Amino acid sequence: MSFNRQFVALLRMSLAASTQRLGSVLTILIGVTCAVTVLVSMLAMGSGARRQVLAGVHEDRVVVNSRGASGIESSIPREEADTVRDLPGIKLGAGGKPLVEFHAIVPIEARRRGTGRRIFFPLVGVTGSPTESDPELHLTEGRVFRAGLHELIASVPCVRQFSGFALGDKRPIGGADWTVVGHFQQGDTQQCVVLADAEILMSTFNTNTYTEATATLRSPADYARLQHALESNPSLHLEVRHEREAREEGIRQLNGLLNFAAYFVGAIMAIGATLGAVNSLYSMVDARRRELATLRAIGFGSGAVAASILCESMVLALPGALLGVLLARALFHRMAVSPFGFSFLLDVTPHLALTGVAWALAMGLIGGLLPAVRAVRVPVTTALRAA
Amino acid sequence: MKYLPLIWSGLWRKPGRTILIFLQVTVAFALFGVLQGLKSGVAQAVAAARADLLIVHSRLSSIAQPLPLGLLAQIRSVSGVKLAIPVELSGGIYQNPSERIGVVAIAPDEDWPSAFTFTIAPEYLAAFRNSRTAMLVRDLVAQKYGWKIGDHIPLKLPIAQQNGSTDWAFDVVGTFTDSDVGGGRHIVIVSYPYFDEARALQKHTVNHFNVAITDPQLAARVADAIDARFANSSHETKTESLREMAQASMQAIGDFDFLIRAVVGAVLVALLFATTTMMVQSIRERTPELAVVKTLGFTDRAVFLLILAEALAVFLAGAVSGLALATLVLPLAARFVLGLSMPGVVVAIGIALGVLVALISATVPAALAARLPVAQALGGHRAA
Repeated sequence: MSFNRQFVALLRMSLAASTQRLGSVLTILIGVTCAVTVLVSMLAMGSGARRQVLAGVHEDRVVVNSRGASGIESSIPREEADTVRDLPGIKLGAGGKPLVEFHAIVPIEARRRGTGRRIFFPLVGVTGSPTESDPELHLTEGRVFRAGLHELIASVPCVRQFSGFALGDKRPIGGADWTVVGHFQQGDTQQCVVLADAEILMSTFNTNTYTEATATLRSPADYARLQHALESNPSLHLEVRHEREAREEGIRQLNGLLNFAAYFVGAIMAIGATLGAVNSLYSMVDARRRELATLRAIGFGSGAVAASILCESMVLALPGALLGVLLARALFHRMAVSPFGFSFLLDVTPHLALTGVAWALAMGLIGGLLPAVRAVRVPVTTALRAA
Repeated sequence: MKYLPLIWSGLWRKPGRTILIFLQVTVAFALFGVLQGLKSGVAQAVAAARADLLIVHSRLSSIAQPLPLGLLAQIRSVSGVKLAIPVELSGGIYQNPSERIGVVAIAPDEDWPSAFTFTIAPEYLAAFRNSRTAMLVRDLVAQKYGWKIGDHIPLKLPIAQQNGSTDWAFDVVGTFTDSDVGGGRHIVIVSYPYFDEARALQKHTVNHFNVAITDPQLAARVADAIDARFANSSHETKTESLREMAQASMQAIGDFDFLIRAVVGAVLVALLFATTTMMVQSIRERTPELAVVKTLGFTDRAVFLLILAEALAVFLAGAVSGLALATLVLPLAARFVLGLSMPGVVVAIGIALGVLVALISATVPAALAARLPVAQALGGHRAA
């Protein structure tokens, strides 16, 4: 008999036998399910955070920061801002004005609903009309703030998560009372963002610099021209990046931390599940000792026996993997979380499902190694005589 | 005690299986220890932060907005305030841009350390007061760079002196330790009067004031009174206790509560199931031996307890080694949370949990063993 035919026959036999060992099979199933559920749902945090941050990214948009700085460390003085507006490659909007938006970002604090815990969120001063510059942003209630007034609009998640964001509420920020005049929704982002007029915000906080600028290019190909013009101008201390690059950079640290935690916990649980699988397979192999010895005595090769046990162990891990992925998807997909004050929805992607299945197969493979070796190492005569 | 050899031989009947179960328990409790230890360790650190120490900073922004030194007199006049010390912060660089040192400039008034979390020996304090260019060095910093008392240390600060130079130098007069959980690791203390006099710009401003109060119960009231004094002025303040600040900076980890509970739950369920199955398996294989034991006069109850004891032994050994592992690993997380150590209560809960899981998972197999009909079992018929 060829190796392949032996292997298939052995695998069918052992799988048929495994239904009689329900306890062992369930041990593998539950162990793998738990490990995969935890791994996939924790990885879903990283992918959810990334998805939310990249959701509103446009390929033809670029972000301008001060050189070497990111986040709120960046600053663009007004003089440099005027030069940025006139750079080449920027698309002109209605009325011939270049499509450049400046943001002045100030971190301010709010209290969480229920717990009263303090959390920081960005108050973003914008130079143009927020509904015109971002088509994905639409008001759900109220109106847009008026230039020159202490008015602000808050995203819907702010209202849900924090107190003091109802229409008409007044918030003391930087020594002035700001009135909430509108609520807006931006894609399906869960992050609380508050927008106000940049000029009034900057005068309140006594600053003369914007934090960052976003510009829309005439075409993605104009990036090189803009970059060259920006970097060759000695009066500018700025750098430009594609919007996608800048946003990815912004969450790299959070993403790294979340993924580290996921793989750390996932790996430990996988080790536990693998140990359980080894134990179960050992007892399954032990129970079939005479059967396996008989098969080897009538001419089945050791290689085929070992391979069939390895394969059986991977096949037994597979339902656990699928169940784990399904559980993660059913329980945690689109669940809202806010680690480190950043709110987003968990996202169980097909890619993560594949990762979970791959891990389960690895657990099955590693868990099956020792029992497979044991099955073929016992001399046939000893095994036949025993028990 | 006479049963110990029996339990021992029961455990080592199949060494491979026992070791695998032991490892599984170890892994499960190592994970439990790390997750729960992280959570409780943070809560402990927050609870230990001083509630009677207030920080007065600018309402506009706690990071970059300076306050005028002139507020000091008014803060001191608020009732309940025992001591108010001006504090200026700056980021120094030692030799290499990657070697950053936080420079804390304070006014060395009478009894000033009581408004901080620092512990400083009296002779160092005296030396600090007697020299304008004196510098106290946190023990971690002194160890890292091998600085000794009497050393003249050059630091590059982002603040220019009167002569335009950003190269400063201070004399090491002593070391100190810091019990604050949220503070910087690599910090040194210098004298504010000297620092302020020497710098060219932003004179007579501070980053914040440290305020010690007479009665910790009054913390919230004193904080409100200070803020009320500067309300609607050009320098509105925000006063918080050190504990409130620790709470805010640590709450990120608190947000993981739900996740930690879910993971620990999943781990224990998987463990419970795996060990129960293994033990049932083992009892089946040992049917003839157990029958012999019973024939010798062991009661059903004794056999039940015997099996329970075996499970307890493996679980206790596994839980202890797992928690020990977690205790070793946890300080590595001190990179994110300063001064994190394994709280004793987590170890206690872990061991109690180990006992509980052992009892639950051993009940079914032990009952099976206890109910074995002797005659049948001896006859070689396996119990179902």
